[in-house]
Amino acid sequence: MKSKAQSAATTILKAGSAALLTLGTLVYAGPATTKAPAVDAAGFDKTVKPVLKNNCSGCHNPGMMSGGVNLLPYADASTLSTDREAWDKIVQKIESGEMPPKGMPRPPQAQIATLVTFLKGEFAKADAAVRPDPGRVTARRMNRNEYRNTIRDLLAVDFRAERDFPTDDSGYGFDNIGDILTISPVLMEKYLNAAEVIASRAMGADPLPKKALEIAYELKTKNIRRLDFSTVEASHRVDFDGEYTVRFGFPGERAPDAKPVKMGFWMDGQLLQTIEVETKPSKLVYFNPFSDAEIRTYLPEGDHVFRAGFIDDEFIKTITDPKVAYSDKKNKFIGSMTFVGPYASKVEKASRKKILICDVKTGGQACVEKIVANLAHHAYRRPVSKPEVAALMKFVAMAKAQGQSTEQGIQLALEAMLVSPEFLFRVEKDPNPTDPEKVHRVSDLELASRLSYFLWSSMPDDELLGLAEAGKLKDAAVLDAQVKRMMTDKKAAAFAENFAGQWLEIRNLDSIRPDPQKFPAWTPELKEAMRTETSMFFQHVLSENRPLSDFINARYTFLNQELATYYGIKDVKGPDFRRVDLTTDQRGGVLSQGSVLAVSSYPSRTSPTIRGKYILNNILGTPPPPPPPDVPALDDSKIGSDVSLRKQLEAHRSNPVCASCHSKMDVLGFGLENYDAIGKWRTMDGKFPIDVGGTMPSGKSFQTAAEMRTILMDNLPQVSRCMVEKIMTYALGRGMQNFDNKTIDDINKKLQGDGYHFQTLIYEVVRSLPFQSRRGELVTTNKDLKTPVAKTKEIAQK
Amino acid sequence: MITQKALPRRTFLRGMGSAAIALPFLDAMSPAMAATTKSPVRMAFFYVPNGMIMDGWNPSYEGKFQELPRALKPLEPFKEDILQLGNLTHNTGRALLDGAGDHGRCSGSYLTGVQVKKSLVDIKASVSFDQLVANEIGKQTRFPSLELGMEDARQAGDCDSGYACAYTNNLAWRSETQPVPPILDPRALFERLFGKGLPMTPEERLRQSKYRRSILDFVTDDTHKLESTLGPTDKRKLDEYLSSIREVERQIDRAEKDNAQIDPHMDKPYGIPADFAEHFRMMSNMMAIAFQADQTRIVTFLMTHEGSSRPYRELGIPDGHHPLTHHRNQPDLMEKVRQINTYHVQQFASFVEKMKSTKEGDGTLLDNCMLVYGAGLSDPNTHLHEDLPTILVGKGGGYFKTGRRVIARRETPMCNLFLTMMDRMGVPTENFGDSTGKLEGLDLA
Repeated sequence: MKSKAQSAATTILKAGSAALLTLGTLVYAGPATTKAPAVDAAGFDKTVKPVLKNNCSGCHNPGMMSGGVNLLPYADASTLSTDREAWDKIVQKIESGEMPPKGMPRPPQAQIATLVTFLKGEFAKADAAVRPDPGRVTARRMNRNEYRNTIRDLLAVDFRAERDFPTDDSGYGFDNIGDILTISPVLMEKYLNAAEVIASRAMGADPLPKKALEIAYELKTKNIRRLDFSTVEASHRVDFDGEYTVRFGFPGERAPDAKPVKMGFWMDGQLLQTIEVETKPSKLVYFNPFSDAEIRTYLPEGDHVFRAGFIDDEFIKTITDPKVAYSDKKNKFIGSMTFVGPYASKVEKASRKKILICDVKTGGQACVEKIVANLAHHAYRRPVSKPEVAALMKFVAMAKAQGQSTEQGIQLALEAMLVSPEFLFRVEKDPNPTDPEKVHRVSDLELASRLSYFLWSSMPDDELLGLAEAGKLKDAAVLDAQVKRMMTDKKAAAFAENFAGQWLEIRNLDSIRPDPQKFPAWTPELKEAMRTETSMFFQHVLSENRPLSDFINARYTFLNQELATYYGIKDVKGPDFRRVDLTTDQRGGVLSQGSVLAVSSYPSRTSPTIRGKYILNNILGTPPPPPPPDVPALDDSKIGSDVSLRKQLEAHRSNPVCASCHSKMDVLGFGLENYDAIGKWRTMDGKFPIDVGGTMPSGKSFQTAAEMRTILMDNLPQVSRCMVEKIMTYALGRGMQNFDNKTIDDINKKLQGDGYHFQTLIYEVVRSLPFQSRRGELVTTNKDLKTPVAKTKEIAQK
Repeated sequence: MITQKALPRRTFLRGMGSAAIALPFLDAMSPAMAATTKSPVRMAFFYVPNGMIMDGWNPSYEGKFQELPRALKPLEPFKEDILQLGNLTHNTGRALLDGAGDHGRCSGSYLTGVQVKKSLVDIKASVSFDQLVANEIGKQTRFPSLELGMEDARQAGDCDSGYACAYTNNLAWRSETQPVPPILDPRALFERLFGKGLPMTPEERLRQSKYRRSILDFVTDDTHKLESTLGPTDKRKLDEYLSSIREVERQIDRAEKDNAQIDPHMDKPYGIPADFAEHFRMMSNMMAIAFQADQTRIVTFLMTHEGSSRPYRELGIPDGHHPLTHHRNQPDLMEKVRQINTYHVQQFASFVEKMKSTKEGDGTLLDNCMLVYGAGLSDPNTHLHEDLPTILVGKGGGYFKTGRRVIARRETPMCNLFLTMMDRMGVPTENFGDSTGKLEGLDLA
């Protein structure tokens, strides 16, 4: 049933679409190349043509058009320069072993290698001669992270955009790609609502309730979660920015000579306060042993997770029996958390200080204008004109006409700014928007925003904006100094979170679901510890200007007690993370970090294929091609108890089409088999001993994960090129094109000469042509040569 | 705790939202419906990913239902309201020279009926048919359509062999390049349907819409000023922005006309519950209210993404859904997939029950619905795009002759069903996607 219907459909398609097909669609290759180097026609005729003739054209000819492809026109060497995209595809198919397909005569491997080397050499020659093209970046809407950070820096308001806005789609592995960030009515509605909420919070215009509210979270009403014997957690919505009293109830008591313990109070994982809690019997008279304590603290509006827990409580470590832990004769524990408030904060809100730069009451209209102009200046990340301020002032007048205060008027004007495209988008202006030949440097203001969204995922601060307005960013030394300052600023944590979070796929930690039966060690705490390790490690490599090789094989990492114990490393005490030197070769570099190992596994076991693909994609920058049509992605989910995972995968590779990629992926993946699906070290997988060893396509073999890392270190130029490409993509917000190869290779060469220091990479990206310039757009009419092929009536009516 | 009287009005809708609720009586709350004599027809799509094990889905017979196959068992009490449709096909989900990526493709083509562009950034599909209908009749309700989902969008990485995640994260498309992301969080849905928990006085509401209109006028001006110096791609981005602005303006118009505030008789949900069934219950409950109160007539519901690897521990299945479906005919894997298939239908059945037990006019709410439940693949192991598992529940306003299985001609385009549904929605159309005509033989005639 399947085959008949499908083959019928396929036949029709071939007939219907043959006329339309060429391998590549017309793609603009950048401004006219300077005199293209001559193609080595003689070499082509010697190494390429015979293969095309003998091994390809038997199927890919005008008559058969196998797969819709006719290779006849490509027997001419000149097509190397006229249809490069098609040739890229051809090389990829041959190199991956996908073509010629199984069962068809195959040239000897050596001949294939010669052909691939020749073609790649020709490509490199051509790329080197391409006149530099900066490309162009599509107007970028802020993504959720950028929105949140920008609101924080603009108004000192913490707005959780990730909870309110829909997920941003990502492309090329990142969610800041201009082309792919769309806007929908739902999002527009969210922007309007958010603007209203944010402006109101920033102005502190909403009056606090006259009477404090009291909301209790207690064990007995079960709205509090117990994480362990001495830690509890509650999800609580704070309805108003303001001060609150948080009261804790402690049932039970310990021995009369028991020492006090330190209790921490966290909001969303961030420690707010610690207090000391007595644990010996209190002298107070209750029916049951009980004591309480309270703190007073400022809490921001929003949904938060609050946690209270005893820190380094030696006593509780001696207890394993829950009956003892919750016996009010033997232990004291945390039983309730009560929020009372809000109370007006004595300190003026930071947001009001930012907005009200003069006294509205005494300053009159001039002051209001000054306030509005200042807000727009920062919100639009550029100076604003008089008419623009006048347009915004109309909102102040409108609010007043409605009987509202001047402050409420400013609030309304702010609301309008926050919905404006000037705020939501980073639009770069083109003097010649449709002339691709015209390259121009972006303005200093545009450059300032490029820089701040690259390193901080947020708006430029006053220093950077000031330099841009003074036209000083054209000075290379000034620009370098800004890069230096920004890389080491604490806002650069956003770079780790957003760039590294996506490059290393650490963000997926929240969506993986390891099987709790098989991996009881997987807890929210362990997950957060792993996230912190990778994030701190990345930030360290950046801020300390360490070489990129640290990512592969650093002899240190960042651990707290929990993660150190998990890794089997002794003598790391307490919940704080610190740099720890690694004394054995079990771990080193990101590929041995729990976070990376966990996100590259199945819920119930490891997958050498996924991990291998991960390394090819993210570390070596040579993603394997997708599996050819009609061959389902190699699935290794059936790992029986009678054969080892390795044996099963080897059996799968008997198909040469699969083997061409899987041999590359699986070798690397097996190199990490000593780490289980949540990154714990192991030497056995069930009843089978782990066999890590393998031989790379280069012929080098290894026996341990550490030896594999050493081999990867030999590929440092390739690893570094992959990093350059990823960082360029992230920095520019667009995918890399053929014409970018030159920039990438140039930067990589400079890195090589410098010992691969991370900061050098950042400097070079910022100094590069694509980062500082753009050009007009080529308007094509035949961008979509390949339209979907509609099915004809005959088929449906058969 | 102090009493609610002293609570400011913005806090009164707090709660965990876990108590079971029945649909409130809303007869008095839907003026739009009271005015017309005939109840409007509503339609919804429930999409489940990764195909089905077809032996558990297709009965061996044609015509009147006898014993229901295993996956449909949870719908036994409602079998007289069901049409099971055989042989519907999405040719545009097939490779058609685009190579691997059946999951990305079948999800992208499911409601759009076109072969989507294989790209990671330069996404291109077509207006989905639910949005076409929404464009026509959406102005009659507060929300032209609602898009709902259950699974968080994947944050990083490629979604399927070169297809952007946009294709699998969304079912509805407003334009060729604009997917409509589904709402995942019950709380966000609650706020969208019933307000932020800030019941406003009529004066406050009036002022808010006045302000919002002025803001939207202001930013529209800003956008036009910006557009003069931009290339075509940048302009397209700002056009998306403008069209979204216009849609929000229309919503303000509708909200002004329809002043009735709906009391949903439920606590505001806190967030996304960890439990799948509970999550579905909350979302579908609000969806039922939205249908009942005629807040919208069109809903698309993405149960989980095509290619989803969610494990189903509630069924004792720790393996990911997608890897399991590449079962290579191994009985133990297939059995797990069958369990997942049935579990999904079981959730859907709870929603059908709600619709069936809600009175509308002389019959039930279900009578005036077309609830399509289905998948974009049939056999997931080899990625087949023909005979897609599809059931239509509800009589579409007393039109469909339900309680049976209808087998269409082989390779009948799924888009033919869409044409029939568009008719029922009052938007008759000649063709859509790769349609070859309406799907005939479903009605009472």
